[in-house]
Amino acid sequence: MKQKYSFSLVLGIVVVIAAIWSCMYLLAPKPPTLDQRVRDVGSQLKCPICQGESVADSPSLLAQQMRGVIRQQLQAGKSEQEVIQYFVDRYGEQIVWTPQWQGFSLLAWLVPIGLLLAGAGLLLFTLRNWHISSPTTGSTTTLDKDDKDLPGEDELERYRVLLEQELVAEDVLFKDYRVESQSCQSL
Amino acid sequence: MYFSDLGTVSLILALGFALYTMIVAVIGAMRNQPQLVASAQRSVLAVTFFLILASAALIISFLTHDFGVSYVAQHSNLAMPWYFTAAAFYGGQEGSLLYWALTLSLFSAIFVFTAKRAPVVLIPYVVATLMGIETFFLIMLTTVSNPFVRILAPSDGNGLNPLLMDPGMLVHPPMLLMGYMSFSVPFAFAVAAMVTGNLSSDWLRSIRRWTLAAWSIQTTGLVLGAWWAYHVLGWGGYWGWDPVENAALLPWLTATAFLHSTMVQERRGMLKVWNRALVILSFALSIFGTFEVRSGVISSVHSFAYSDVGSYFLVFLAIVIVFSTGLFLFRLPKLHAEQEFDSVISREGVFLLNNLLLVGMAFATLWGTIFPLISAVIRRQTMTVGPPFYDQVIGPLLAVLILAMGVGPLLAWRRTSSAALWRNLGVPTIIAAVCAAVLPLAGVTDILANIGFSLCAFTAAASLYELWRGMCVRHSHGEPYLLALYMLFNRYRQRYGGYVVHLGLVLLTVGVIGSHFFQIQQDALLKPGQDMNVAGFRLTYLGNLDTKEPDKEIITSQLQIWHDGQLQSYIYPGRTFYHNFDDQPASQISITTFGVTDLYVFLADWTGASQATIRVFINPLVPLVWYGGLLMLLGGILCWWPVRTKRAAVRVSQTSDVSRSQKSAGIESKGIVV
Repeated sequence: MKQKYSFSLVLGIVVVIAAIWSCMYLLAPKPPTLDQRVRDVGSQLKCPICQGESVADSPSLLAQQMRGVIRQQLQAGKSEQEVIQYFVDRYGEQIVWTPQWQGFSLLAWLVPIGLLLAGAGLLLFTLRNWHISSPTTGSTTTLDKDDKDLPGEDELERYRVLLEQELVAEDVLFKDYRVESQSCQSL
Repeated sequence: MYFSDLGTVSLILALGFALYTMIVAVIGAMRNQPQLVASAQRSVLAVTFFLILASAALIISFLTHDFGVSYVAQHSNLAMPWYFTAAAFYGGQEGSLLYWALTLSLFSAIFVFTAKRAPVVLIPYVVATLMGIETFFLIMLTTVSNPFVRILAPSDGNGLNPLLMDPGMLVHPPMLLMGYMSFSVPFAFAVAAMVTGNLSSDWLRSIRRWTLAAWSIQTTGLVLGAWWAYHVLGWGGYWGWDPVENAALLPWLTATAFLHSTMVQERRGMLKVWNRALVILSFALSIFGTFEVRSGVISSVHSFAYSDVGSYFLVFLAIVIVFSTGLFLFRLPKLHAEQEFDSVISREGVFLLNNLLLVGMAFATLWGTIFPLISAVIRRQTMTVGPPFYDQVIGPLLAVLILAMGVGPLLAWRRTSSAALWRNLGVPTIIAAVCAAVLPLAGVTDILANIGFSLCAFTAAASLYELWRGMCVRHSHGEPYLLALYMLFNRYRQRYGGYVVHLGLVLLTVGVIGSHFFQIQQDALLKPGQDMNVAGFRLTYLGNLDTKEPDKEIITSQLQIWHDGQLQSYIYPGRTFYHNFDDQPASQISITTFGVTDLYVFLADWTGASQATIRVFINPLVPLVWYGGLLMLLGGILCWWPVRTKRAAVRVSQTSDVSRSQKSAGIESKGIVV
């Protein structure tokens, strides 16, 4: 009963948070203003004469002129991608500060994302393997039982048991876990 | 006879002793002759002695302005104050390698003095590995990169690069170089463990403490570097995803992953292979970092250190990787887990997620750093990977990491009953919801910032709530709350020190979110008497001042800051021109902190005495980055600090059940712990 209660409480709050975030997302001005679009494009281009600054941030004269060009071209109806391509044609590819989602630069994005997903997959696979290969070793951990052994106790008391077990376990440094868990049970 | 000659002789002698140590230690271990191992240990102290001597010789050469030493002539001049002259010791390539070698020898000496605590079988191999690394640096120092090369003495030296003439120079490079170096010791332990194939659980404790020390030093170095960049570079930020910054972050990430996964090994006997790989990776990445700073293959704001030693580092890196991978594969069959995994919803499950995220971040950062190189080699086409890439890749990973940091401590080892989990999550989730709801009302409408702040609120609440409940448990045994808090930290340093680190990282992340999403930038061309208004601050420009000193010229603008209708202070942003480096003026940035908001004023341009282009950044929450960094360092030290009283207590309790502990030692020595 109590478990259901706290579960639905947490779930309810998470739903509230999600609602707030989606409201914020929906209320955000949808068609971005011209200024925002100029800034957007500018922040993807590197100021050619500065050290580590984007066209959007740099105060240099060249960057100011480039921002003017971006504004003109966007007003003329070009897409963001076309404007960036315009600068790539003139200054070479190193002007793009963020690798593009196309061609060779796509690798810059795909390799880390792919490896991360592969890592996550490998992790899950290994865990499942470990889990399956040991169906009987579930030497019935103490925690679940303790939760049931203490019906009606208030939360603090339950937590106290759990915490004390862990703290005691930490006190006796680097012992074999099996010995340790026995000592826990005997406590 | 100059001091520099003494330096050269010392370096050669140190090299001799390092080689001797390496050979004798290995022979002593293989033939089982303790006297040889003891001789090797004493020989380490000789290496340390000669490196101290060499370093002293270099510092004396600097302080006595012996410009006959080429390195001294290139990196100092008569006009520099003595502390920068002494700090110029590590201002260039040769000196920084000497500094690396010196700190490595000092750490080796510390290891020798504390060797009683380390498992006996490992000592000779740890010593040999450390001296192997030392040998590489000493070969470099005595041949291609000798700081004591003499030239015909010029009347005055070049002086130091103006960017380096800053208080940051006195603390950041020594910390970061020492941080890189300190990953050598865990690596040496890992090598020793793999060579002997035999290690007790003492191994884990030793390697963990050395890694904690390395982690704390590297944390300090990184935060100091960010602070220095913020004060010197003038673009309003503290972290630019510059290749050299990235290189320093990489071993920190893998070491953080190791510090977590080692707990799984300690508790559950799992992840042995993985842990060993992380230690090797951290060291390889720290060598890669040193290589990157020194080689200049990748252009960076740290580009005052180009040289040709890069190829030597590359060779050394290759040797390290091949050697340790070989050992690693050789020992792989013996490294199997002692226990099985029970449930994903457990603390070890979250630690695995933590490792995936940290290593993922490290890989993404490394990939972004070397991608321009790959592109240049494959396509002959240079390209740039700038901050937006890292923001988009690392940002989401950091968000999940923060969430995991909050959930992890609430879970138990092995498995957590879902009832307990939901109960524990209640309070932090409510606080996150309050944060998410209040922020839009307070005018923060950016959704990503809202998500970030809410996650930070969740994790901060979870950590503090955990601390609070720990206090309650002790309080219920009759301790007053403050004493309970003290006792928690005193008795369970690693656990609660870890929470302090987590809180520090949350604070730092809040600062990062604040400055990333809410920075305001404004430029204005001003004449005397004119104002500019930025976010409630009014700056009144008064004019320029020009100060001429023997070795430099300083131009400053005088401005008043007005806030809430009151004059707050006068500020003097400016530029310093050193005569030897006229084309590289150093910026004097004025940073005034109001609560948690920084008013960052930079003199962008000026004409004569009465016109200036002033650039103002409003950087909200940036001070939290520094407080968070301090808190992380504090937590690291708490975790690292030796536990005397506890040991004694354990020893008493152990004597009472000797038989049991002997039994467990017996289990361990059968090789399953390897």
